[in-house]
Amino acid sequence: MQGGVGRPASVLIVGVSLPMPKIKAIAFVVLASMLALAGCKFVKTADEQKQAAATAFDPDKRVAEIWDSKVVPYLDKKAGNFPDVMAEIAKSPDAAGARYGHKEKVGNAPWAYVAKVDGTVVAAETTSRAAYVDVDVNADKKADVRIFIGPAIRGTALRDTLDFVDFNAFKNQIEWAQFGKSFNLHVNRTVLEKLPRDNLVGKKVTALGAFPLPSGTDLPQFVPATMTIGG
Amino acid sequence: MNMTRRLTIAGFAAIMAASVAMPAFAADLIAIITPSHDNPFFKAEAVGAEAKAKELGYDTLVIVHDDDASKQSQLIDTAIGRGAKAIILDNAGADASVAAVQKAKDAGIPAFLIDREINAAGVAVAQIVSNNYQGAQLGGQEFVKLMGEKGNFVELTGKESDTNAGIRSKGYHDVMDDYPDMKMVAQQSANWSQTEAYSKMETILQANPNIKGVIAGNDTMAMGAIAALQAAGKKDVIVVGFDGSNDVRDSIKSGGIKATVLQPAYAQSQMAVEQADAFIKSKKKPAEEKQLMDCVLITADNAGKLETFALSK
Repeated sequence: MQGGVGRPASVLIVGVSLPMPKIKAIAFVVLASMLALAGCKFVKTADEQKQAAATAFDPDKRVAEIWDSKVVPYLDKKAGNFPDVMAEIAKSPDAAGARYGHKEKVGNAPWAYVAKVDGTVVAAETTSRAAYVDVDVNADKKADVRIFIGPAIRGTALRDTLDFVDFNAFKNQIEWAQFGKSFNLHVNRTVLEKLPRDNLVGKKVTALGAFPLPSGTDLPQFVPATMTIGG
Repeated sequence: MNMTRRLTIAGFAAIMAASVAMPAFAADLIAIITPSHDNPFFKAEAVGAEAKAKELGYDTLVIVHDDDASKQSQLIDTAIGRGAKAIILDNAGADASVAAVQKAKDAGIPAFLIDREINAAGVAVAQIVSNNYQGAQLGGQEFVKLMGEKGNFVELTGKESDTNAGIRSKGYHDVMDDYPDMKMVAQQSANWSQTEAYSKMETILQANPNIKGVIAGNDTMAMGAIAALQAAGKKDVIVVGFDGSNDVRDSIKSGGIKATVLQPAYAQSQMAVEQADAFIKSKKKPAEEKQLMDCVLITADNAGKLETFALSK
C-alpha cells in the first residue's frame, strides 16, 4: 500500500506591499509548508493508477489462470467414483474427507468431496435459473445426486475442495467470496452453457466435480467442473 | 445526617481498602470489547465470552465501543492500563481498527477478534468470523424461493465501515442477480439500526407501495422493516433477516418475518476465549489466524430450536 500522501495545499500569496509582520507571517507559513512537505514522497498519479491496476484483485483472471493447469488435474486425481465416495462418507465423513476431500484446517466448514458421476438423468429442473439434473448412478431409477447446470450455481464447493487455495491468503471474506464465485462463473461459461437443456430425462451424464457433505435427507449438491450430457 | 455521612465514609474506606488489596489475589484479566449491547447479537457475544472466561478462572472487563473507532482506541488503552492478558474484540471498523489492535500487540497484549474482520493479517492472533457469504447465500436463496424467483424488493444494508455489511449484500446479490425477474426498487443503509430501518422503510414505502419483499443485512433492521410494513397494513410482504436473534425467532414463529440466518455468536466468542486461554498459558496460537464459522438458515421449521444465538440439536 502507498502511504497516505495528500496533495500539498496550495499557498496563495496575494499583494506585494505588505507590512513587515505580515510578510514575516507569510514567510513562516511558506517555510512551514516546505518543512511539512520535506517528509513527503511525490508519486505520479499515472504511476499510482498503473500500480493499482497491476495489483488489483481480479478473481476471474486468477481462476482462469489455474483452471486447466491446476484445478482440473487436481480434481481428476482426487476424485473417487461417486458411489464409492458416498459409501466412505456413510462410514466416516472424516476418513472420506481425508481421502477424497478437503476442508479448512480451523473453523466449522463441512468437508467438500471430489467425485466422478456416471449415470442417467431421472429428473430435470430447467425453468429455474438455478437449474439442475437429478441423476441415478446405480440403475434403480431413483435420484442419487443433484448436479447444478447453471446459470445460477449455489455454494462454493469447487473452491472448497482445493488444498492449494487458502482463505488466509486473501485480504478479507469479500475477496475470498468473489474468488469462490469465479469458479462457478468459469464453469458456467466454459462448460455448462454448451450443454443441451431440453428433453434431458433418460440421457446419460458424466461429470467430474465437487459437493459439500450432504445435510439431512437432501440429495448431494454437486457442482461440476467438467460434464457431458448425451447418448 | 451525621450517621449517614459516617457510614458513607466507612463504606468508601472499605471500598478503598478492597481495591488496594485486590491486586494481591486478582486473577488474570480478559477484556471483552464489543459494539453496544442494544443489539442482542453483541450482547450474546459478550455474555458467551464472559461465561467462558469466568469458567476458565479469569476476571473480565466487559466494555462497549458503540461502533466508534476513537472510543475503541480509548478502551484498548484502558485494557492495556488494566494489565489485561488478552482482548476479545468485535471491532469498530475493518480499516480503523488495525491501529488499535496493533497498539495492543505492541503493548504485549494479544487480541482475538470475533464476528468482524480487520483488513490486516498478523496483527491479531485470531480472527474468528462467521462465513457471512455462505450465510448470505442461504438467506438469499430462501428469499428468492419465497419470492417465487420474481417481484419488486427492497434491500436494507448495514454500516458501511463494517466488512460484514458489504459481504452480506454481495452474498445476497450473488444469488438474487441470477434472477432477472427479481427487481430491486430501493437499496439503502439503515446502519444496522432498528429505528433507522423503521423510518427508512416508511419513506421507501411511500415511493414504492407495491413491494413484495425486503431483505435486510441483519435482524434488527428486519425487525424495524416489518414493524413499518405492519404499521402500513402490508402484512404479506416477505421479510428476511440475518443473525438469528430471539426477536426474529419469535416473529418467524408468529408468521411475521419469514427467515433469518443464524450466526453462531455464542459459540464463536467462547471459542475465542478458549484460544486466548491457550495462548496465555502456553503461547500456543491457533492453526490459522482467520477462521470461518458456517451459518445456518432459520425458518419456521427449525425456529423452535433457536435460543440466544445457538441451535439445539
